[in-house]
Amino acid sequence: MERFDAALRSARALGRPVVVPYLMVDRRRRSGLAGVVDALARGGASALELGFPFSDPIADGPTLEAAAGRALDHGTRWSDLLDQVRVAGARLPTAVMTYANPVLYRGLRSGMKSLRRAGAGALIVPDLSFEEAGPWIHAAHSADLALVLFAAPAISPRRVEHIARRSRGFLYLVSRYGTTGRERPAGSADLAPLVRASHRAAPELPVLVGFGVRDRASAVQALASGADGVIVGSALEERLELRPRTTQIVRFIRTIASARGTPPAGVARPRRARRP
Amino acid sequence: MPRRYGPYGGAFVPETLVPALVELERTWTEARADPAFRAELTLLSRTLGGRPTPLYFARNLTRRAGGAEIWLKREDLVHGGAHKFNNALGQGLLARRMGKPRLIAETGAGQHGVATASIGAALGLETEVYMGEVDMARQRPNVERMRLLGAKVHPVTTGSRTLKDAINAALRDWIANVRTTHYLLGSAVGPHPFPSLVADFQSVIGREILRQSRQSFGALPDLAVACVGGGSNAIGTFRPMLRTKVALLGIEAGGPRGGSRGAASLSHGRPGVLHGAYTYVLQNREGQVADTESVSAGLDYAGVGPEHAWLRDSGRVTYRAVHDDGALTAFRWLAEEEGILPALEPAHAIYAAVGEARRRSGRERVVVTLSGRGDKDLEVVLGALRRGA
Repeated sequence: MERFDAALRSARALGRPVVVPYLMVDRRRRSGLAGVVDALARGGASALELGFPFSDPIADGPTLEAAAGRALDHGTRWSDLLDQVRVAGARLPTAVMTYANPVLYRGLRSGMKSLRRAGAGALIVPDLSFEEAGPWIHAAHSADLALVLFAAPAISPRRVEHIARRSRGFLYLVSRYGTTGRERPAGSADLAPLVRASHRAAPELPVLVGFGVRDRASAVQALASGADGVIVGSALEERLELRPRTTQIVRFIRTIASARGTPPAGVARPRRARRP
Repeated sequence: MPRRYGPYGGAFVPETLVPALVELERTWTEARADPAFRAELTLLSRTLGGRPTPLYFARNLTRRAGGAEIWLKREDLVHGGAHKFNNALGQGLLARRMGKPRLIAETGAGQHGVATASIGAALGLETEVYMGEVDMARQRPNVERMRLLGAKVHPVTTGSRTLKDAINAALRDWIANVRTTHYLLGSAVGPHPFPSLVADFQSVIGREILRQSRQSFGALPDLAVACVGGGSNAIGTFRPMLRTKVALLGIEAGGPRGGSRGAASLSHGRPGVLHGAYTYVLQNREGQVADTESVSAGLDYAGVGPEHAWLRDSGRVTYRAVHDDGALTAFRWLAEEEGILPALEPAHAIYAAVGEARRRSGRERVVVTLSGRGDKDLEVVLGALRRGA
């Protein structure tokens, strides 16, 4: 958890956007994983999200839903997740993203502890609303795992403040109404008030925008809200399906990592407290 | 409105849906206290829906069983041919009250889709229905009915292409369009407040049974039986009886004989989260939701309403599974003995009710909720009969 937090904070301190790519855990991709993670790191990724497939991924669009379906068809299991966390975690600070049920199935505490032991720094659960998060926050705390909570354009800045205070690692800000992937341009909603609310309530917590960030332009737009970074999932998954060369992965992440948001006129970036 | 039933229920959903769920709960809380809303609900239940539905003494089926009297709560006579109307009307009125011009729904057997399509037409709301490809093939008449009622039907081609996947697709649509759209969820499942809300709108079934039992035989029934997929007709039957002495029996779909767990989540599942609720879920050893199998599309679901999960644990309701062949047998019994074609879903409950009646004395009464009519199932039943079931 320390390493995960530190990685995100250091990118932020350097004034670079925090870029967190998302990879679906798939048994068939085990052999190529180290190479891909190295390429992501070289391209400028600060951390990595490993997605554990779930049979009913209601927050995901067609690309990641299909990727999860393939991974399950390939026989991907929790043990594969732990194995791939070990591989990836040795190269980049790693968060695990999965739906509530696969974690609950193992028991909150033992599921989270197994992730921590494998080297994961954070856990992200897209179908965990703030109302249900209490027991998860406690379990994550005792497992020394950062539980990343979500905010979205649908909710009020006040609710974002409450969520930001309890979120660890970063705040996952969903860019829009919709599921992951392409369908509509990212950042169509005005995220700036939500980013400000989070920074106000938890100045040290990075805010990362996800859903629909797929290239430099969408990253620029997401960062213009004042967010500290972006998460890139479906767009990377689409590229990986085409079996790209390592240099192509490096270049793809680099174009996103080089994006800078221009804050809207008249809006000062909030000052961020330094860690004592 | 209870958010939890024992440990079950809750709202495991993306943050994007939270405000809509809060708004829905608030709207229903206000509406139920509003005499004008209640009056409209009652009036349309009667004049559009055909309520109250009769409680029918199945004399011939009783003779065939040779024990307790069997009475049928005739939800198959509700407008649209199933109990689904009760909930679709209530939620449709709430959608209008919230100012949402568009309805979406999932459907398994197509009964809920038909109910939503007809309410959408009656209330002037645009309606789109998600239905698994497998279910569209086996319940074709209902697909045509929905289209004739002006609804758009979207085939769902992912996963097992049945009810579970239709709910996934509807939830994704809702996440994208939540500002203009009400998700008219058809069963007592999903995130809070849906299980409570749907049970409220379906409880008219149990209330009428209690009243009609007193009128018809001067006592409460000894046993009430209903089929359970998501469990909306069952919770509607049971809820008004929870504090009475009526024994309650919920019947799940056991699927084909031999090996399969069917769709019997209360009998063979374990607690987990599916579609926003913590409840019993059929899942594999990795915590992935299992594919289900049942001759009845409407019961073919890996989860179950969270209130049923709690009623199972608390022991107030007994749940058992009936296999496909039992349902097909009961379908023929009711057709031959009473001249009624039941939907395959309640045919499961009828099979169990006949078995229960046999074990009981002629002084006792068993009420079965006949939740829908069987016209939609003719192809499935005729196919099974040809194969010698």
